[in-house]
Amino acid sequence: MTHTLKLQDISKSYDHFVAVDHLSFNIRQGSVYGLLGPNGAGKTSSLRMMIGITLPDSGEVRIFGEPFRRELLKLIGYLPEERGLYRKMKLLDQLVFLAELKGVSAKDAARRAASWCERLQLNDWIHKKVEELSKGMQQKVQFIAAILHEPEFLILDEPFAGLDPANAVVLKDILLEQKKAGKTILFSTHRMDQVERLCDSICLINHGRAVLEGELKQIKGKYGKNNVQLEYEGNGNFLEQSPLVERFNNYGNYVEVRLKPGADPQELLQLAASRTRVSKFELVEPSLEEIFIDVVGAGNA
Amino acid sequence: MRNIWLIIRREYLERVRTKSFLISTLILPLFMLAVTVLPAKLAGMKAEGTRHIVLVTSNPQLGEAVKHQLTKGKEGERAYRIEIDSDVSENEREALRNRVSDGSLDGFLWLSDDAIAKRKVTYAARETSDFIEDAGLGSALTVAVMKERLAERGIAAADAENLVKDVNVETVKIRKGKESSSGGVQQFFISFMMAFLLYFTLLVYGMAVMRSVLEEKTSRVMEVVLSSATSRQLMAGKVLGVGAVGLTQIAIWIVIGALLAAPGLVASPEMRGWLQLPPLTIAAFCLFFGLGYLLYSGMYAALGAMVNSEQEAQQWQFFVTLPIVVPIVMLTFVIRQPNSTVSTWMSMVPFFAPILMYLRIVVQTPPLWQILLSLAILVATIYGVLVVCSRIYRVGILMYGKRPTLPEIVKWLRYA
Repeated sequence: MTHTLKLQDISKSYDHFVAVDHLSFNIRQGSVYGLLGPNGAGKTSSLRMMIGITLPDSGEVRIFGEPFRRELLKLIGYLPEERGLYRKMKLLDQLVFLAELKGVSAKDAARRAASWCERLQLNDWIHKKVEELSKGMQQKVQFIAAILHEPEFLILDEPFAGLDPANAVVLKDILLEQKKAGKTILFSTHRMDQVERLCDSICLINHGRAVLEGELKQIKGKYGKNNVQLEYEGNGNFLEQSPLVERFNNYGNYVEVRLKPGADPQELLQLAASRTRVSKFELVEPSLEEIFIDVVGAGNA
Repeated sequence: MRNIWLIIRREYLERVRTKSFLISTLILPLFMLAVTVLPAKLAGMKAEGTRHIVLVTSNPQLGEAVKHQLTKGKEGERAYRIEIDSDVSENEREALRNRVSDGSLDGFLWLSDDAIAKRKVTYAARETSDFIEDAGLGSALTVAVMKERLAERGIAAADAENLVKDVNVETVKIRKGKESSSGGVQQFFISFMMAFLLYFTLLVYGMAVMRSVLEEKTSRVMEVVLSSATSRQLMAGKVLGVGAVGLTQIAIWIVIGALLAAPGLVASPEMRGWLQLPPLTIAAFCLFFGLGYLLYSGMYAALGAMVNSEQEAQQWQFFVTLPIVVPIVMLTFVIRQPNSTVSTWMSMVPFFAPILMYLRIVVQTPPLWQILLSLAILVATIYGVLVVCSRIYRVGILMYGKRPTLPEIVKWLRYA
């Protein structure tokens, strides 16, 4: 099996603050990988080491099966969390400049930029300065910049942040296309719903350490189907006091209940039906968010 | 190399295309002329209004002589209305003081015999800030006293007038064994202007580098660029790109100057004297701009990387700007005494050398060894400064939030 990225026991500290602490994981070629963690967990520090902005204090970064070399950067696309473009530069000039830095000829870059701008409805803005663009448009420009040199490996830090739902769908489609074309995608985010929909594997990090790593399906399977999604009319306070319930999470439109180990879901259904009008009752795998809170919460305690 | 070239090209094109480049190219030389020539012209303007003063002296002949000197009304000098008062008592002095206070008199000259003998007289007045007036009074008195003394020794008044006449000095500069007419005042102002222009371009382009770094840092475009180029390539490209813009601007000035100075285009030959600079002056300007720019732009780049906002940068850029300002304070001194010990050693200090050594070369070419020594120290310093600054830059551009303390910056220098 080929790995697009292999992190082997990498560490990075700034002064006395350990940002990344003996982190290891592998990303399979052609997969979508999610790097998750709360703010300040070390996600951005890890990404920076993958693209050589900083070097690890110890450990090794291997890309496309080779030790890290700067030439390999031409095959990597990077979308940083904090978006950044030259404000006074015209959109097309900007895209061409950034692609040229990745080794694309000016002519090719201009051609590709034009076709991407058409697809993302930026045609009319191609000769405008970036500062004249709306925030959402700048996001799209930034994404084009990350992908214009047709990288084999895309590193995206919070790619959906700030996009409206329509554009988020467009972006998701492009990412799935890229995956189909055999490209590898690394997501860094703390938005669990997106990861759940797109990722094959995940690594959850906290305080610079991996706390959970592996294929999404396996991880979820390990936590088992002892969650219940419940929709009802009436007063749901009884759920909090019930000896069957370990945890209770009210999402507004529905509640998600984690059952105590060994508790019978049927008993909960009867209890709920006796107190409220139940409109939905479903046994589900725990959501990633639950697992996340579970693992990170336990780590913090 | 390709990355550096791409970054240079971007910096260069994005800057040269702007309107502000065009405007500054036109405005800066005009401004330069304004700050150098205008004050001189203004200072030479005839003072407005007539001064009403009293000469207090027990010697009426001396009083008349001084009055004659002061009211001769040479061009550019102040006009006086003069009363002569022979009462040299303390009471009279008190009375005069009161008249000056209530505004019926502008001032009085106290020429007691005692004061004349000591050659130190008092001019008491409401306005005392016009130092040119002081000098005028001084020379009028000197001439009057001298004539008076000559008369005492039995020399006829007409002869005395002749004897005390001023001698005027006309300055010519010798270049390569030939006398050149552009001497004295013109030489002073041309040197002054060129040094000032050098100061301005260093400051403007140094700060442009700082702003550019800061812009990349605050807009976070830095991280995108760093995913392709190294921090060293980025800094080198930026410094060289902005520097190329500076050289372009200077080249435009040279061409415009040469065109204006060409015979038949600008009528007045006097103007031509100002515009026709010797090639050495121009070549040295480019050389010292280049070196000074490398020195200071490196420091400005590091500064831009250290701070998080324009305001923060303004608080700290004083430390980088200070060594550029010091030579400006010394301009007049160095122009007047280009080969004094102080001038020589100050022009060896690498942070002052770009302006001061250039100035010395323009005013009076110093010995070759001094030029070479100064250049050698300068180049070595540039190397050291760029090594240190590129390290600060490398770490600084990725640090957001708190401004680093000095010990932290020292630590940055040791990061791998």
